[in-house]
Amino acid sequence: MAATRSRRKANALTGRDHALMRRIFETMVLTRAVEDRMVAMYKGGDLLGSLYTGHWHEAISVGAAAALRPDDYLAPIHRDLGAHLWRGLPPWQVMASFMGKATSPTGGRDGTLHYGRLDLGIYNLPSHIPANFPVAIGMAFAAQYRGQDRVALAFCGDGSTSRADWHESLNIAGVLKLPCIFVIENNQFAYSTPLRLQTATGDFASKASAYGMPGTRVDGTDVLAMHDVVSDAVALARAGEGPSLVEGVTMRMHGHAEHDSADYVPREMLEEWAKKDPVQLFENVLLEAGLVDEDAVKQIREDARQQAIAARRKALADPMPDPSTVEAGVYAD
Amino acid sequence: MPTNGGPTDSGQATYLEAIGLALDNEMDRDPDVFIIGEDVGQFGGAFKVTKGFLDKYGPRRVVDTPIAETGFTGLAAGAALVGLRPVVEFQFADFISCAFDPIINVMARHHWRTGDPMPVTMRAPFGARLRAGPTHSQSVESYFAHVPGLKIVMPATPEDAAGLLISSIRDNNPVLYLENKYLYRRLRASAPLTLEPIPLGLAKVVREGSQVSLITYSACVSQALEIAEELDKDGISVEVVDVRTLVPLDVETIAASVRKTSRAVVLHEAALRLGYGAEIASVIQEECFWHLDQPVTRIGAKNTPTPTSPPLEDAVVPQPAQIAQTLRKVATA
Repeated sequence: MAATRSRRKANALTGRDHALMRRIFETMVLTRAVEDRMVAMYKGGDLLGSLYTGHWHEAISVGAAAALRPDDYLAPIHRDLGAHLWRGLPPWQVMASFMGKATSPTGGRDGTLHYGRLDLGIYNLPSHIPANFPVAIGMAFAAQYRGQDRVALAFCGDGSTSRADWHESLNIAGVLKLPCIFVIENNQFAYSTPLRLQTATGDFASKASAYGMPGTRVDGTDVLAMHDVVSDAVALARAGEGPSLVEGVTMRMHGHAEHDSADYVPREMLEEWAKKDPVQLFENVLLEAGLVDEDAVKQIREDARQQAIAARRKALADPMPDPSTVEAGVYAD
Repeated sequence: MPTNGGPTDSGQATYLEAIGLALDNEMDRDPDVFIIGEDVGQFGGAFKVTKGFLDKYGPRRVVDTPIAETGFTGLAAGAALVGLRPVVEFQFADFISCAFDPIINVMARHHWRTGDPMPVTMRAPFGARLRAGPTHSQSVESYFAHVPGLKIVMPATPEDAAGLLISSIRDNNPVLYLENKYLYRRLRASAPLTLEPIPLGLAKVVREGSQVSLITYSACVSQALEIAEELDKDGISVEVVDVRTLVPLDVETIAASVRKTSRAVVLHEAALRLGYGAEIASVIQEECFWHLDQPVTRIGAKNTPTPTSPPLEDAVVPQPAQIAQTLRKVATA
């Protein structure tokens, strides 16, 4: 099993861009606030289907997305609201997607977690995760083809690593030296399936060696560690040194989706992981370093809460799609 | 004329050479067009369609991949999303089942979901009569014709093979271009190819007749023309309609022919049950019911896998005597 990289405790923010740190924190807080609001919306009957959340994945999704340039490509999954928000997707549009509204990124044609916008450099994936992996290597291929120094970054969960498209993507990326970063969000469960039934290796970072690429296991609740490791991988990819695999270790604190009470998860596990809230951990780092004070933190959290409330109001008021348009656009002109 | 390893038109290009000439034409004119698949580069493709392409265009645009249909098909989707125009080669259409997920769930519905174009051409050699057995002889068109968002092109002549491939590559949708490997070296053009695009969605009356319309596509077209000549000697006048593209389907040309002859036989080498002929027969009865003098009759392969041994394969795939007998019966009843 690969060693887990984690941030050194002392001087955590020395030499770092403080504006970037603050923006990462604000995005993590907003991600949490929007998802908490949407859990309430799910319970209140505002949403159409189930709700997939990324509690305890905020450090992975935001930390990784923040390591990219705005012109790099992203292929996130349903735990990565933070990556979408980092790119500027408005929270109301995520809610609109879960409501089938005309204003969702797909105009209500797709729903729930399918809200990726290509104009933000984000691939809108189907439900067959990691079907986003082959697509991501294609985006990386296009960058390499054109001689650009753009990279692509794809996320998946631990369950995805068992599929053929996962293996084929990593293998092709390794062979063609594609500028692609694969981030595995190891959250201990794939729906109800625990790690021991998913893989015999015990970790995912070590699988990278099968594809001739570096693999690093990171504390997925530590946003600085995630950001550092992904930044290194991005630098390699940009320099033409090929792909990397990063395993962020965290916990799925909710069910697979909100309909799932996740009775199969041992209570002790949840209690242990509850101490490692990535948003709270990063808040502590910022407070310790004096980058923010208690009042500023309160303000950031309240601003996020108000944004989520306003987003719900807009999404609720937005129109449903016009059924007479449903046959348009099956084919592009 | 292309130099440095590219194909040249002898003035009597085979069906296979026509495909290569069209590919070369598109790669020459559009730097975003590239070829990807197994053994397409240094080996020149399993059937040698891309022989010489690696020398002319280099490994950046003629991409040999590991054996990974899901991976490289999904790669093509990702590259297309960000502006390239991939041409995927499947070594045999039989292997396309390995890529169902990227074709159906990634490519086919992407434009309808998001409005982003998905210009991918997928070339796949298909079909029987080569004693290649159950997993190297399949007709796969019906698997895909059911899926909204895909176009399906099935040329019957070298001229159409070239013109329809050019249109497929320039199309902004995923196009399944099914080339009949039985025709590869059996059909020749009678003049240098014009390499002009032939619009998708136009069927063609390839032989005028008055008593019965034989609606067919791909290798069955040349077979149909030979049978029609034979029947003509007995005073039976057969009109042959080459469907050319299954999706989009040119209903008007088919219906006009049937309204004229009042009798219709639909022929393909794919298995009869839920073969594309079922769709054509349905369309004919919807459009031409009051013009029909006889029930629409379908001819297709038996509902078995395609056998290897010649007497077995000939017992499964429609043979000239059976086709002639059916036409005679429908035309004279």
